[in-house]
Amino acid sequence: MEINEQLIKQITEIVVKQINGQESGNPHPQNPKTSYEGYPQAHKGTDPKEVVIGVGPAFQREIKHTINGLDLKDVLKNIEAGIEEEGMVPRVVKILKTSDVCFMGLEAAKLSGSGVGIGLQSKGTAVIHQKDLYPLSNLELFPQAPLMTLESYRKIGANAAKYGKGEKVTPMEGRNDPMVRASYQVKAALMHIKETEQVDKNIPYIEWAEV
Amino acid sequence: MSRSKRIDVLNARPVNQDGFIDEWPEKGFIAMKSPYDPKPSITIRDGVIVELDGKKREDFDFIDQFIADYAIRIDRAEASMEISSLEIARMLVDIRVSRKEILKVVSGITPAKMVEVINELNVVEMMMAMQKMRARKTPANQAHITNLKDDPAQIAADAAEGALRGFREEETTMSTARYAPFNAIALLIGAQAGRRGVLTQCSSEEATELELGIRGFTTYAETISVYGTEQVFVDGDDTPYSKAFLNAAYASRGLKTRFTSGAGSEVLMGNAEQKSMLYLECRCLYVTKGGGSQGIQNGSVSCIGIPASVPSGIREVLGENLVAAMLGLECASSNDQSFSHSDMRRTARTMLQFMPGTDFIFSGYAGEPNYDNMFAGSNFDAEDFDDYNVLQRDMQVDGGLRPVTEEDVIAVRNKAARAVQAVFRYLGLTEITDEQVEAVTYAHGSKDTLPRDAAADLIAVEEMMNRGVTGIDIVKALDESGFSDVAESILSMLKQRVVGDYMQTSAILDTDFHVMSGVNLPNDYMGPGTGYRVSGERWEEIKAIPHRIDPNQF
Repeated sequence: MEINEQLIKQITEIVVKQINGQESGNPHPQNPKTSYEGYPQAHKGTDPKEVVIGVGPAFQREIKHTINGLDLKDVLKNIEAGIEEEGMVPRVVKILKTSDVCFMGLEAAKLSGSGVGIGLQSKGTAVIHQKDLYPLSNLELFPQAPLMTLESYRKIGANAAKYGKGEKVTPMEGRNDPMVRASYQVKAALMHIKETEQVDKNIPYIEWAEV
Repeated sequence: MSRSKRIDVLNARPVNQDGFIDEWPEKGFIAMKSPYDPKPSITIRDGVIVELDGKKREDFDFIDQFIADYAIRIDRAEASMEISSLEIARMLVDIRVSRKEILKVVSGITPAKMVEVINELNVVEMMMAMQKMRARKTPANQAHITNLKDDPAQIAADAAEGALRGFREEETTMSTARYAPFNAIALLIGAQAGRRGVLTQCSSEEATELELGIRGFTTYAETISVYGTEQVFVDGDDTPYSKAFLNAAYASRGLKTRFTSGAGSEVLMGNAEQKSMLYLECRCLYVTKGGGSQGIQNGSVSCIGIPASVPSGIREVLGENLVAAMLGLECASSNDQSFSHSDMRRTARTMLQFMPGTDFIFSGYAGEPNYDNMFAGSNFDAEDFDDYNVLQRDMQVDGGLRPVTEEDVIAVRNKAARAVQAVFRYLGLTEITDEQVEAVTYAHGSKDTLPRDAAADLIAVEEMMNRGVTGIDIVKALDESGFSDVAESILSMLKQRVVGDYMQTSAILDTDFHVMSGVNLPNDYMGPGTGYRVSGERWEEIKAIPHRIDPNQF
């Protein structure tokens, strides 16, 4: 039997998981919290062509797919493509201080050279925000993540870029499925709990290059 | 294993598309009783609560402190805490004990004690208690008026039809948040065009909502959200104190206001601190009481998928409505959010508030088809109007609605749409064409209406707000455009803010703008022969559903 580093790591993980589970008598052991200590803190942009995308604390680490199964890598690529198509420049930061989509979007907007930012939770909920708006206000909000497609994420990128350029923007037509809550609210809670477990108030945001 | 055809059929039933999960108290997935909920206790020293539900004052979070300082009658606490929870539960269903007596006892108990009391009751007992504890003698109903396009003409038409059907409050919200002022104005005009005295509000970001109220675009406010754990408050940049301040801001301008809370919000936001949904909601309701609000919208509200997923969750929802009533608060008892694919299950959930009656059974009922409901779908919608009317008739229950005729529906929809068209023209806003008016008059929902130029609307919204347009400008516009009756009604609504009587608990207005509240029309139920009974004109109205067989036709 070959014993390599990876195998030892795997066994250790299993043992730690079991111990954690037993100690609390909890059938749902917690995810170990990822530390982002030493990562470069996200900077405030100066390029007026820049639109910042602020992704959630669990983005692409603890959570890799949105609530309806879209790969977060593809989601990000499409938002970026939408921004670029409008001649603007995307930058991705990971927001760690909060998992609330509106506050994430506002942080992204404040870091953005154009003053327009996008908040993107790992479960797929998104918002277009502007640095001088109230936190719980927004330019456009997309609250029903299960209805989102890669195409709609691309349009979010494009609309955010247009706001950044100061253009007259037609908001994306609302989408609504009254049965979304019945089908998805429990899953949404579980995913948001997972995201919130990764919140780190000491490291507000970092540059995020993991695409 | 060969598959059972029976099980196949059952698996395909709508109810099995709903989300269910086992209890998981560590993350708050527990309805009424968590092993981590505190035990009731209170210690008072020199007129100050120094210990509350097992926590010493120095360990209080800001919710504990707010409750200890503002939400419990210290002069009554020791006597009330002496009475066993079982005894208080029995008083609730005892027809010889009055609402007043219970309000007095309950004013001195702690949140953990309240949880114990509610846990003693099954749903039938809770309904009996609600029948007695509701603040206003007559129940009422509230509608949601929204659409996917934020089309002001459709909002006005649906508001008018809703008013005609009997809703005494109507609430809008937006598909695109920046439409708020247009939606608020369209709702204000449409509601009064339908039936006089309907209160209206626009659910939006708090500062925006306050401004809409101050300008006179709305006549009440409902979206002051409170939470059961400190962390969720903090995440929203808020505290119980800031909410109390916001409440006072509305009061200073004479606007009726209620808070909003409900089971599952802390779970959804990832910070339930291992407590049961009922315990956290009790904390919210004590904060609401302490903040000086006359009432609450609760019953899980938009988080209903969470309590509905765990055992005894729907019982908990009625339980929290009851707690609101026991604290003397007006209760707008939710039923306002779709949570189940099953018609059977969604109806059963609503019967718990429908049968005993609450101040507002829904908060609200979708006055449009659910695909247009921008609160992500209500538990009942425009397609359920006739079912609802039949339920009222079957059980001789007043659910706040009434049957209407097609002619009346068309007439009020058209008038409302024309009125809002005239106001938009007078104020120099974006155009509402005759074709749009015609479309919404006969429409069921936004699939039947014409497109709007959203970008132009949003520019007009901003320009209108910068110009400082107020409710009085709308009155003037209506009056000078030939809608003096609607102008008169809106002026009467604005006058309410000067008079202030409709800020009393559970206030609604009748069609002559007279206030009916828990103060001048208090619930006096004490068993058979007392309280509100459906009778007289109102019963005749409920009986007259369409589609009755006429014996003379045979």
